Amino acid sequence: MKQKIKKGNRTPRERRRNFLLCLGAVLIAVVFLFPLYWLISMSFKTDAESFGKIVTYYPHSFTLYPWRTNFSDHEFLSSLKNSFVIALLSMLLSIGFGVPCAYGMGRYRVPGGRGFMLAFLVSQMLPASLMLTPMYLIFNKLHLLGSYLGPAIAISSGSVPFIVVTLRPYFKSIPTSLDDAARIDGCTVLQSFVQIMIPAIKTGIITVLVISFLGGWNDLAYSMTFNVQADMRPLTANIYKFQSKYGTKWNCIMAYGTILVLPVVCMFIFLQRYIVGGMTAGAVKE
Amino acid sequence: MKKLTMQQKKRREGYAFILPGFAYMVVILGYPLLYNIVLSLENVNVKTFAGKSYTFVGLQNYAALFHNATFLLILKNTFVFTFWCLVFQFTIGFLLALFFSKRFTLAGPIRGMILVAYMMPMSVTALLGKNMFDKSSGVINDLLLRTGLLHARADWLLQPGTAMAAVIVMNCWVGIPFNMLLLTSGLTGISGDILEAAEVDGANHWQRFWKITVPLLRPAIMAVLMLGFIYTFKAFDLMFIMTSGGPLNSTDVLGTYAYNLSFKQYEFSMGSSAAMVLFCILFVIGLFYLKMVAAEDQ
Repeated sequence: MKQKIKKGNRTPRERRRNFLLCLGAVLIAVVFLFPLYWLISMSFKTDAESFGKIVTYYPHSFTLYPWRTNFSDHEFLSSLKNSFVIALLSMLLSIGFGVPCAYGMGRYRVPGGRGFMLAFLVSQMLPASLMLTPMYLIFNKLHLLGSYLGPAIAISSGSVPFIVVTLRPYFKSIPTSLDDAARIDGCTVLQSFVQIMIPAIKTGIITVLVISFLGGWNDLAYSMTFNVQADMRPLTANIYKFQSKYGTKWNCIMAYGTILVLPVVCMFIFLQRYIVGGMTAGAVKE
Repeated sequence: MKKLTMQQKKRREGYAFILPGFAYMVVILGYPLLYNIVLSLENVNVKTFAGKSYTFVGLQNYAALFHNATFLLILKNTFVFTFWCLVFQFTIGFLLALFFSKRFTLAGPIRGMILVAYMMPMSVTALLGKNMFDKSSGVINDLLLRTGLLHARADWLLQPGTAMAAVIVMNCWVGIPFNMLLLTSGLTGISGDILEAAEVDGANHWQRFWKITVPLLRPAIMAVLMLGFIYTFKAFDLMFIMTSGGPLNSTDVLGTYAYNLSFKQYEFSMGSSAAMVLFCILFVIGLFYLKMVAAEDQ
């Protein structure tokens, strides 16, 4: 069997191959990350530079003015707050309903279990644009339009099935001896779920926390449709408003976009392995 | 009182965990879904909205849609968009997955970095697309002019054909990492021994790829194509922000069209019907996908 080749033991040919492959990978990364670089670099340009006929590839006269413009705008600040509130609320709802459900689906054999699973898989595929009209009319009757709860509930309709599908295999993989140990220690069912099972699948729990938060943070359709007032909308849903506010000031618009991307990029850098795990879960079986 | 058997007790526990979540889904998703079907068979719009009861109109809304040239154009757009996105994101995603499955120092970190596009809010991707394809300040025009591929600045987003191409490019930026990731996890499942054995038997690169890798990867390929279809066909945010479906409905798709019917024209029933068409198409593909997942789950 091939063992992992140690750096020192490489032949010149292998070193050359490694170098060429790395070079190729860097080129691919440059192409793929260019839009992200563009977004961020635009946010540090002056008005003239961001809308000149001459396109610059880095901010020639670096300025923080586009960021200051956003952060000194109270409408921006309230949208930022709304983004956090809606994302957190939808995350809490999704976790609250999804995690116990995934546990039940993973560790108990109940009649109708396959039917439940099928229902969750189907509901994961339903597009927001399908649910907008009926939910709008229902929320209208329930006075949920123009609230945080409306979009949060709607978003959780996508996150709950995601959590069930993602966490079920994690719960399934916990050895049954752990249940027995808990039972002998005198734990109730609920205690063993909260104190033993959830900590046992920490990785999976972090994955669903991050992805369901981002699901709420990234939402446009639900928040925009249910919350018509700008002061109840998150950043995503107010993009049009700020576009007309800033006009051709692309630097300010891009600073707005950068701020919207920032939590995603931060979570991606620090929690990458959890996010990647969640992206493949439920799609392809290992 | 009869004592519960161990099995009955277990079942009750199981349901106690499952049912709250399931019931929640029935209320927040199942009910609106059924309500949408009813809506699509009624005549709810801004004029009848205030009234208490609506008239049942049967399949009239659907008939109206399929006799409407705009709707047919939108149906075509949605398929065209999905088709080209799938072609490019699958091909490039597959090539990247193969590339990053080679062993070299930067394989892991760079593969991870590329995935960031997939997690970004689609609305920001759309905003970026709007800027990059802008006629005067856009970087795409600048790059093409500098490399001599273009002689004059093009107005990408204001011409029907190029606007669709621009939207497809931005969507592929998100779709390629997704395809790459799913195919990578499929590739790692193929044991190196089989490929080595084939090499010993004298199979060349090409033969090994078509005769071993592709057949073994078939489940992952099918999954990535079907999921790709489902995710791409329901596109909404991208067009909504980047082109608003324009120019002349050329980038309008079922998702944005249904939204506009309900929330720009307040034809709620028509919006529901258009959304139902979207749902039916997704459902057919979804069934195939579920059948496959269920078969693997056995």
